[in-house]
Amino acid sequence: MAVWLPVAVLRQWEVSVGTDSRQKQEARRGADHRAKSPLKAQARSYVDHHHKVARDSAQRLWKTPIASLMTWTVMGVALALPLALLLLLNSLQGVSAGWESSARITAYLAMDIPMEQAREAAEEVAIDGRVLSVQLVDRDQALAEFRASSGLDDALDFLDENPLPHTLLITPEDSARSAEGVRALVAFVEGMDGVAQVQVDLGWLQRLNAMTDILARAVWALALLLGAAVILVIGNTVRLAIENRRDEILVAKLVGGTDAFVRRPFLYTGTWFGLGGGVVAWLLIQMSLWWLNGPIERLAGLYGSEFALQGPGIDGALALILIAMLLGWLGAWLAVKRHLDDIEPGDIAGG
Amino acid sequence: MIEFRQVTKRYDSDHTALRQVNFHLDRGELAFLTGHSGAGKSTLLKLIMVMERPTAGEVVVGGQQLNSLPKRQIPYIRRHIGVVFQNHQLLFDRSVYDNVAMPLEVMGASPNDIGRRVRAALDKVGLLSKEKMNPLQLSGGEQQRVGIARAVVNKPPVLLADEPTGNLDPALSADIMQLFTEFSQVGVTVLIATHDIALINEMGRRQLILDHGRLVTGGGAAAMGGVSGY
Repeated sequence: MAVWLPVAVLRQWEVSVGTDSRQKQEARRGADHRAKSPLKAQARSYVDHHHKVARDSAQRLWKTPIASLMTWTVMGVALALPLALLLLLNSLQGVSAGWESSARITAYLAMDIPMEQAREAAEEVAIDGRVLSVQLVDRDQALAEFRASSGLDDALDFLDENPLPHTLLITPEDSARSAEGVRALVAFVEGMDGVAQVQVDLGWLQRLNAMTDILARAVWALALLLGAAVILVIGNTVRLAIENRRDEILVAKLVGGTDAFVRRPFLYTGTWFGLGGGVVAWLLIQMSLWWLNGPIERLAGLYGSEFALQGPGIDGALALILIAMLLGWLGAWLAVKRHLDDIEPGDIAGG
Repeated sequence: MIEFRQVTKRYDSDHTALRQVNFHLDRGELAFLTGHSGAGKSTLLKLIMVMERPTAGEVVVGGQQLNSLPKRQIPYIRRHIGVVFQNHQLLFDRSVYDNVAMPLEVMGASPNDIGRRVRAALDKVGLLSKEKMNPLQLSGGEQQRVGIARAVVNKPPVLLADEPTGNLDPALSADIMQLFTEFSQVGVTVLIATHDIALINEMGRRQLILDHGRLVTGGGAAAMGGVSGY
């Protein structure tokens, strides 16, 4: 309705005004033109206008490179900080997932279980769907290994008999590697005949997971705060732009510019600030990665870990830039909402 | 085309800008709005442009009741009202052409259409050769004519002018008045607020005279046509 009513009014006025024959002709020609494809023509001029405003807003930013760069950098830092922490968190979670996959369940059989029964137990475990592989460790073999690796050779000689039981080393299937899956598997193995004790060390893993959960929440809270800061920074910058273009806004409103028309350049300005900020954030992240990856690999190597910092990747970079543009737009929108309505042409004409 | 019915505008409890103003301007009519400063001329123009709303009474422009007009419809009304200001209100960060094109851009006209109509308007005011210049490079009279070109570029049925000859010498003022007369001859309703008594007398057109917010001359149905001189 907002579109059609004015057109109707316009036509009515064109007809009522067109006393001059030339003007009448033109009005009729205009009406014909509109009648052919009014929506298409309107849509095209709308798109054209968006292009023009977008280009114009971008050019304005280029014209003040230092000021624009400073805003971009502020945005970039504010965005890069939570993103860096998120990436770190992701890398940590990747590591803990890797360790989880190496979780093995050790089942010690009772001392009086003979080798044949131990073998049967191993087969029984092996056919379970949740188990990838089972390794049976013979008690004699275990003692020999222990003797070799512990250096307690002499002490062991004093023992009358082998103190070690037969042992099953169970590696769970991928799907069963969650904390619950492992717990269920442990319960199953514990219930088997001849199993004396089951050991699985998931405690430290759970502690690590709990810690990364806390860290994740802290990072998200930080991201939220810095996102708000970005919105405010852009809002303030756009407020200044609005002040600078006050005359233009007044004239646009005077000649019948709708609120959307007047807002548009500033919303684009905010979006371009967001784009620049996103790119700066991405550059900062890539530089930090490049700076840190060498030492981190060395450290991880010392721990025998595959740990490496993961970059944002192409998807991540695109998401970052999109989010930055959205934040810029939002900041501009807030500024426009707050300050544009204050500029009314009422004070143009004198008292 | 413009009709005021018992219009009163009160700003504060103690300041009443307009008191029960009644008048009606026909299509193609050219009238002057005069009175001492502070008599309410600007307020009257602002009411027509919906920069202000009346405290009481009705303002009707082009058959449209402005009192009840929703705020988001205001821009569409303004597209049908050309305004010329004493201080031009031109933008100095763009060319003459771009200044004149603004009302068309606001309407979403196509670039071809804009080019044709801007040049027609500039031709009308005799500034076609200066379309690429910055308004700052132009003289006062030329700037005023750019303002007029902008006001008429989208062929509005109503043209308002606030002290359009305020800073100009008599010869330039006469030129500008000639332009306004031509617009009224093609059906545009022209209302000119001015102090320039000599000019008004020379033109011999209808006068609306305000005194402390009251319309003392030129209002009401009796005055219609009689003083307007054609």
